[in-house]
Amino acid sequence: MLGYIDKIREISKRLLDEGRVDMIIGFRKGTIPMMNEPCFVKNSGELSTLVWDSNCGINLANYLTDRKEKIGIVAKGCDSRNIVTHIIENKIKREKLVIIGIPCKGMIDKRKVAGMFENGIDDITEEDNILRVKSRGVETSLKKSDLLQENCELCIHRNPVIYDELAGPLVEEQKDVDRYADVRRIEAMTAPEKWEYFKDLISPCIRCYACRNACPLCYCPTCFVDESRPQWCGKGQDEIDTRTFHFLRAYHCAGRCTDCGACERACPVGIKVRQFTSKLNKDCLDMFGWEAGLSPDQRPPLDTYKPADPGDFIK
Amino acid sequence: MGVEPGRLSFSWISSAESTKFVEVVKDVTATVKALGPNNNFKKAAKVA
Amino acid sequence: MSDWEPKIASFLCNWCSYGAADLAGVGRMEYPPNIRVIRIPCTGRMSPKFFLAALMQGADGVWVSG
Repeated sequence: MLGYIDKIREISKRLLDEGRVDMIIGFRKGTIPMMNEPCFVKNSGELSTLVWDSNCGINLANYLTDRKEKIGIVAKGCDSRNIVTHIIENKIKREKLVIIGIPCKGMIDKRKVAGMFENGIDDITEEDNILRVKSRGVETSLKKSDLLQENCELCIHRNPVIYDELAGPLVEEQKDVDRYADVRRIEAMTAPEKWEYFKDLISPCIRCYACRNACPLCYCPTCFVDESRPQWCGKGQDEIDTRTFHFLRAYHCAGRCTDCGACERACPVGIKVRQFTSKLNKDCLDMFGWEAGLSPDQRPPLDTYKPADPGDFIK
Repeated sequence: MGVEPGRLSFSWISSAESTKFVEVVKDVTATVKALGPNNNFKKAAKVA
Repeated sequence: MSDWEPKIASFLCNWCSYGAADLAGVGRMEYPPNIRVIRIPCTGRMSPKFFLAALMQGADGVWVSG
């Protein structure tokens, strides 16, 4: 997977030089280990800053909404589905995009890795499936596939669903993955147990909105938490307000979330934000047979009425 | 998410179906009364 | 607590259920007084925000009718 970077730079150079795009959105190395930043390259001389490795977890589709330029964007499987969702929701035109598709084998969970080295990490390098972590001068080799982000372990859409160029050969999709084991465990609890479970889950939340800001679907000019007349939800760290924020945000992403994990990755206190959206994704799959962003030609189920829609909860 | 399912109900009632309306009101009231007061998500006490 | 009465926030759509409620009133039909009616133009206006906001403000139940 690491060899992709040369192909990405080559494709980007070609696109910029030929004038097919005004800018390339990709990743560059961040200032600390395991953190890559998004980068916007307008000049083909600066392409050497682009990188690709297993820390490219943020969802670049976040930067696409309402842009007017021609953009070349680096997109892994989940990102490409978010791009399809944006096209369906009219936030970007397909003609404006050149999508550089990346078949992805998963991103590493930086918290899992950091948790293994209590003396801090000086540097990390990668080679195929091996991570070499240097901590206080001692180097340890770890298997990347043991340290993947949770959503990457469960991913069944590793290949981009839409692309103009491919940076590498398509990878085999994972089969026989139980994507909703977590959800079923929560569904089996009684109502008071669920209340307590979510209370513990949300208790560290400081309402920084990093999850909302990292999410490509959260593009509302005025988010519901910013509204004051009427005020749906207070802005402080009151337990009820925080709960309302997370549940409502999950509902606003229902049927649109591609489980990219950007929210969980962004959270500064390590909350498993995906637990809110995965239940809704499972419900969409069960009730409508729908998964977000697979094809730009299909309208989402919450957009359309079909006589077969479930309706037996209505008296 | 910790709110009992009985607290939220849906129905289709046409403008002419006033008897059905009365039936559903009685039904919904009985269901919610059986569940007891709602203590989750409650903020009314804090509003001035 | 047997004299506790639930407060049920009812979102009734203007064209159908609100009309049914009106007809029930005109016909002097008796029904429990626990519902607090909120008229919405159509159930298309309904949103999970309303449900949570109703619970936050002290409702014990929510009923949506279209």
